[in-house]
Amino acid sequence: MFVYLIRRLLLLLPVFLAVSVVVFMIIHLVPGDPIDNMVQIGASPQQRAILVARYGLDQPLLVQYGVWLRNMLGGDLGDAIVMRQPVIDLIAENLPHSLRLGGLAFLFSTIVGITTGALAAIYKDSWIDRSVMTLILLGSTLPSFWLGLLLILLFAVQLEWFPVSGARSWTALVLPVLTIGLHGVALVSRVTRAAMLDVGRRDFVLMLHAKGLSHRRIQLQHVLRHALLPVATILSLRIGWIVGGAVTIEFVFARPGLGSLLITSLAQRDYPVVQGCLLMLAMAVMLGTLLGDLVQAAMDPRIREQLR
Amino acid sequence: MTVLTRPLKVLVLAMASTMISVAPAIAQDAVFVINAREAGSPTYNPIKGTKLNVGNNLIFDRMVVQDADQSFHGQLATSWESAPDGMSWTFKLRKGVKFHDGEPFNAKVIEWWLPKYKGTENAFMTDAIDKVVIVDDHTVKLLMKNPDPSLLLNMATSFMGIPSPKSYEALGDKFGVTGAVGSGPFKFESFTIGQQTKLVRNDDYRWASGLSINQGPAKIKRLTLREIAEESTAFLELKTGGVDMLLSVPTDFMPRIEAEKTLKAVVLPGTEVFYMPINTSVAPFTDIKVREAVALAVNQKEIQMSLFGGLGAVANNFLVSSLQESKINPKFNISYNPERAKKLLDEAGWAVGSGGIRAKSGTPLTVKLWTQNGTQFKRVTEVIQAQLKAIGVNAEITVQDPASINAMYKKKTDHQLAVRAYDYTNADILDWFFSGTRLGYPNVSMWNDPNAEELNAKAMKGSRTWEERVANFKSYHEYVMSQFVFAPIYQPTQSFAYSQARLKVPEKIRGIKMATQTIMDIEVK
Amino acid sequence: MGRIRGSAPGRALCTWRGGLSAGCLMLVALAALLAPWVAPYAYDIQNLSATNQAPSLAHWLGTDEFGRDVLSRIIYGARTSLSVAMAAIGVSVLMGMCLGAAAAYFGGALDRAISAVVDLTWSFPEVLIALIFVAILGPGLYSTMIAISIAYLAQFSRLTRAQILAIKGETYIEAATSLGGGHLHIVFRHLLPNSLTPVIVAGMLATGDAIILEATLGFFGLGIQPPKPSWGAMMSSGTAQIFLAPWTIIGPGVAIALAVLSINQFGDALIDALDIRSKLRET
Repeated sequence: MFVYLIRRLLLLLPVFLAVSVVVFMIIHLVPGDPIDNMVQIGASPQQRAILVARYGLDQPLLVQYGVWLRNMLGGDLGDAIVMRQPVIDLIAENLPHSLRLGGLAFLFSTIVGITTGALAAIYKDSWIDRSVMTLILLGSTLPSFWLGLLLILLFAVQLEWFPVSGARSWTALVLPVLTIGLHGVALVSRVTRAAMLDVGRRDFVLMLHAKGLSHRRIQLQHVLRHALLPVATILSLRIGWIVGGAVTIEFVFARPGLGSLLITSLAQRDYPVVQGCLLMLAMAVMLGTLLGDLVQAAMDPRIREQLR
Repeated sequence: MTVLTRPLKVLVLAMASTMISVAPAIAQDAVFVINAREAGSPTYNPIKGTKLNVGNNLIFDRMVVQDADQSFHGQLATSWESAPDGMSWTFKLRKGVKFHDGEPFNAKVIEWWLPKYKGTENAFMTDAIDKVVIVDDHTVKLLMKNPDPSLLLNMATSFMGIPSPKSYEALGDKFGVTGAVGSGPFKFESFTIGQQTKLVRNDDYRWASGLSINQGPAKIKRLTLREIAEESTAFLELKTGGVDMLLSVPTDFMPRIEAEKTLKAVVLPGTEVFYMPINTSVAPFTDIKVREAVALAVNQKEIQMSLFGGLGAVANNFLVSSLQESKINPKFNISYNPERAKKLLDEAGWAVGSGGIRAKSGTPLTVKLWTQNGTQFKRVTEVIQAQLKAIGVNAEITVQDPASINAMYKKKTDHQLAVRAYDYTNADILDWFFSGTRLGYPNVSMWNDPNAEELNAKAMKGSRTWEERVANFKSYHEYVMSQFVFAPIYQPTQSFAYSQARLKVPEKIRGIKMATQTIMDIEVK
Repeated sequence: MGRIRGSAPGRALCTWRGGLSAGCLMLVALAALLAPWVAPYAYDIQNLSATNQAPSLAHWLGTDEFGRDVLSRIIYGARTSLSVAMAAIGVSVLMGMCLGAAAAYFGGALDRAISAVVDLTWSFPEVLIALIFVAILGPGLYSTMIAISIAYLAQFSRLTRAQILAIKGETYIEAATSLGGGHLHIVFRHLLPNSLTPVIVAGMLATGDAIILEATLGFFGLGIQPPKPSWGAMMSSGTAQIFLAPWTIIGPGVAIALAVLSINQFGDALIDALDIRSKLRET
């Protein structure tokens, strides 16, 4: 188990390198550059040339990549060209917001999703089941930006329960968490319901019925536990996306976060920031996947055996 | 029933926390949303910054400021005069001014300050200055390399805000990011890029310009400047009281704001122009007749009425109408004239074919119409596409990403027509966009005409006084118009909106925009 | 009738859910195909004196900010949204199946290489991948399709790979190999056909997501160029007028919901009929 963990962590290094190359190439393939965003009316071509040289943008791509990589391995992600701050500072300012939003949304979708999915399975074919299924449908078919706008209109403008935008208070988290969470709830709910029905068809459940235990008791105490394994599989795959999944929502709700930072820096072609953000995202996903795999191993002894 | 109460508990907790957070608003605190075009500025460093927002002139003072009619008024300079040959300027400085860090403002500061621009992106503003001579503690004389009639104009921009030398040297690269020390009515407290800036009143401020009723300190105690990208979100914040003022109002929301009794919208003369450059170096636009036809096809009035609700003004030439240089001989102005446009195209050999689109020797008159991502740009472009179709020109729209569009223009031959806008209140914008030395971008029209270059040189470098400058620029402007290298479209107004329940704003707005001059006088109720 | 009933799609059609959603889907598809004949107006006729009008007899769903008929634009928009989504997913499924099959069949270094590249795309949310590729390729119809197909590539590749790994060890494959079957023959004649079903169904479900992704790209202003209508772009321009003219965003929103709903429901009904829910768990 320990060996497996070490092996996985070591594997991250070459992947990290590969990701860095891809990330670097991709952003440099996009037409336009940060200097265009900085030069203002009245500046001469010489001034543009000075700027280009100052940021090393006239060097061949390989050299630029080398410089970036070397600095990065030393812990320095470089300075943003347009935003003029160290990339690390920008990410440090924005990451906690995304983590908070994504984390809460993840928690919300897990708790509410498992609850509603289990309820739907236990009371299969009743009105509870049908309303849960409808909720699932709505959650997965409405575009998230539309849902976000509708929620703002209803809860922030008409009812004035929550602020419209920003991140100045805890209440500002409610609507964005709901928007992202509803998608997640739909997914988790569907999987939980399906898993519970699946487990419910197995032989040991029949045996428990024969023993005389009540339907509710069987479902809650036995079926749910077994059903949680496939649910955990799905959830573990989505842990890595906590940070990146909020891109559109951060825009609609004018919240700070890695997604907003990425979109802004992409629009300004601020290379160091885009590279840093994408790299962070990739790392988050890889670590998240690793965490998910560990959780799965912890929950299922069969997987532990396989890994040995 | 433990399974059901869990989600219920979460809901109750959420509702409870909302009720607790509804605390009474602290007096004398205001929140403004900055102009969408100023959003994303990365720094409050006037010397090095290339993109600054309204906060800059709240933290720093300038030598002079402008009123709504473009006239100059003293702020840190109490009076000034230039020699008749334009080769030197003498400024008398205000006494008793202190920076936020306690350092005094005097002639030594100016001596330190002006050379700091060398090598920065804003160097062109001080390029003409050869030497700074200290006459006495509060008088400086600037010796010039050549006459620069734009000196006062440049000094009134945000880029010539004056920072405290001690602080500037101490903070180095971090100046403008982690701290910014000027002598302005507000002090820098904190700055989160792309999100918000927190400013706090400078209680020692007593030296506002003559344009503010209140000579200092400002009435607002704590001012937060927020950046909100999504227009509807910004509007909703104003409506629900989350913010007190929007420094720019999208035209779509004007009717709603006007309908709300607690909100007030104010419209100011604009500083922007929408126009359509024509690439003169590729067919079919090498033919001046085709260029003129396309320029005459734009129905400026229709665009103003239906896309902008009648607000703003049509554009008939290249400059903002508040500039003197825009008042050229009316025969050079361009307005909608579809009959003449069609006649010109007939004369040029483009006959109307099937589907209403013209063709010449088998080639249809299909042109590329570029625009950039943004609600107003896309709308104007779609209407122009329809207007071009009406005279038989088939325009294909491509919506480019704003960051890549300049790189695309530099390829020089891919583009034909484009819908663009600029925000600038100085006639030398003609040089920026039409000088033969800047082909591709910003000279999207790819225009390189010897007559134009001669008129350009005369206007830019050969004027000794302001009056000469105006006359020379008018001649240059008229020649540009006569060659039909672009089509004028529209001049948006500026507007801002605020909550009347929370703020008391003076009737008359001093200055070209809602900025320091007026903010000094805004009170929180 | 018995033969049709017996097959899986047939069984799916016989349920309420399957039948209703299939019917809905047919409606949407027909509207898209027959747009020029079904739509009351052309989608680009502007009428600047009649902008933002509420639904009326002349314009059943009102007009937009240029005075164009909203209903006609929604019908034509079906063409864009459906064709982009289907083309993108189609390409994605094909490429994904090839990659996944190659990885699973040959195993070893090739498998690791392909899986590493695929997992790379898996690392980023689809919106981000699509945004980046549209930024690289420039806006337009084809770049949107390419961006969307790359965004979903990982899903189909991984699914195919899992399917083939599961059946690689089966006896009939061994038999085919010992009978002298070449690699291509084994892959195309035996492995792929037997793993086709879950991938096709996953493709169907992904089409719904792709429609939403295209709408999101349109919301950011990238993608299809005006005046061609796309549901996402209509919603994006509509948000600015959410108070003036709410019908401009309700219409396309309902259209998207309807299209995606019927696709998902039919897909679900198909999964039940085929009883392959367990095989789809890999994703």
